[in-house]
Amino acid sequence: MSPLAHGAAYGAVIVTVLLTIVALTIWFERKLAGRMQSRLGPTMVGPIGLLQPIADVLKLLQKEDIIPTDADRGLFNVAPVLAVLVSLGAAAVVPFSPSTIAADLDVGVLYVLAIGGVMVIPTFAAGWGSNNKFALLGAMRGVAQSVSYGVPLVLATLVPVILAGTLSLSGIVTWQSHHHWIAVWPVIPGLPAFFVFFLALLAESNRIPFDIPEAESELVAGVTTEYTGAKFTLFYMGEYLHTLVGSAVAATLFFGGWDGPFAPGLPWMVGKTLVLFATVYWVRWSLLRFRADQLMELCWKRLTPLAVALVLLAAAWVQFGPGGSE
Amino acid sequence: MGYLFDALRAMGTTLVTAFRKPTTVEFPAVIRPRAERYRASFALPDDEHGELACIGCLACERICPSQVIKMKPTGKRDSPVTGKKRQYVDTFVLDLSACIGCELCVQVCNSDAIRMTREPEVPVFSREDLVLDLERLRANARDKTMSWGKGSELQERQEPPKVEKKVAPKPEAPPVAPAVPVVGEAR
Repeated sequence: MSPLAHGAAYGAVIVTVLLTIVALTIWFERKLAGRMQSRLGPTMVGPIGLLQPIADVLKLLQKEDIIPTDADRGLFNVAPVLAVLVSLGAAAVVPFSPSTIAADLDVGVLYVLAIGGVMVIPTFAAGWGSNNKFALLGAMRGVAQSVSYGVPLVLATLVPVILAGTLSLSGIVTWQSHHHWIAVWPVIPGLPAFFVFFLALLAESNRIPFDIPEAESELVAGVTTEYTGAKFTLFYMGEYLHTLVGSAVAATLFFGGWDGPFAPGLPWMVGKTLVLFATVYWVRWSLLRFRADQLMELCWKRLTPLAVALVLLAAAWVQFGPGGSE
Repeated sequence: MGYLFDALRAMGTTLVTAFRKPTTVEFPAVIRPRAERYRASFALPDDEHGELACIGCLACERICPSQVIKMKPTGKRDSPVTGKKRQYVDTFVLDLSACIGCELCVQVCNSDAIRMTREPEVPVFSREDLVLDLERLRANARDKTMSWGKGSELQERQEPPKVEKKVAPKPEAPPVAPAVPVVGEAR
């Protein structure tokens, strides 16, 4: 099979499955949030509320599609589509099992990081295109935050790359299946690197406690202020996709991806991804929002130096430690 | 560092709560026990002779704080049932949409002719449905469960507690009236 046909076939499967999983995760998150607040969550639509996401989407699709008078129509319309595409694009190189991978790039890690960097474009396009103060302020905050947190994110990603000695995501998983999960051993650069990665991921995808780009109490809804109906649905989906794919990448880099005993690869990968995903929402429904200056302080004064130190430690481990890449 | 511990504590709290039983009661399916004096709508019951108990004395109309009761009494005439002279009402309208549920009308009714009902919420599809006329109030009296109190019982509760009079010798001096008028009395 040619690489193009392989990519198209697997891509179609992965996109379909991911979108289904996103629908289910919306239900899961609402249930989880409900239980954490001593509520029940959705119960009425379908058995135990399982069809709630479908009802939500149908409701949103029925809504009027409003474009502000002086909006930059091109940017305004293309931004939500980009937001979904970029998130889906990152899923292309994630190995869901030894064989389920749309494109097994040699530089998969680089690709994921690059795609993550592109995420600022739909954010800013939406903020600029809306011609709305709140949207623009939210977009500027979002861009500043994503660009800043890109640094610790990349540095934390370097730790598994250095330990495994490869930039390929499936290569990193294979290395972990032969040695140890990177978050488990070597525990000193591994586990802290995961925490830095996780925090930076939360910040990159603008999740609580780093959600100042859409701080409801200050900015109405940030970049999505002017979006209604179908386009808002796309943003909403893009947000969940981003978190989901980010969790999958974190599981791949630090928790051995599809590697695990007693079961084939796919259930392990999906399980790990969902556990990380649930953690993101656990954080979301527990913590408060940082102030913009606290956010930057955490990034530049804490996480970045820590990440640099971890990269050096990883390099030292490979050079002088008991177990290196080869 | 302080923030980290606070964050972990917050996440601990939500984690513990997530595994507790939710406090939500799924309302239309499960109805929690209502208070003893729960009351919602109104009814005009009949008296023991089978005619409308209301004698149109206007007591409830006068005391209603939000003035939701309007009635039109007839003059006095002979009752076809008992033959005694009494008064009736031609119209009796109670606007439930402005009622505050204070139950004062029930308390002042000397003939136990207005009662509150105990059925749960009274949702309707249009505001007109909240205006209860004589017919609907009588229908309520037939169909609905009555709430806890009626006029005579409530008035009895309002009376000061009866102190048994002691047949004791009178106190030597009657209380002297204050020489200075009480402040604020001379308005």
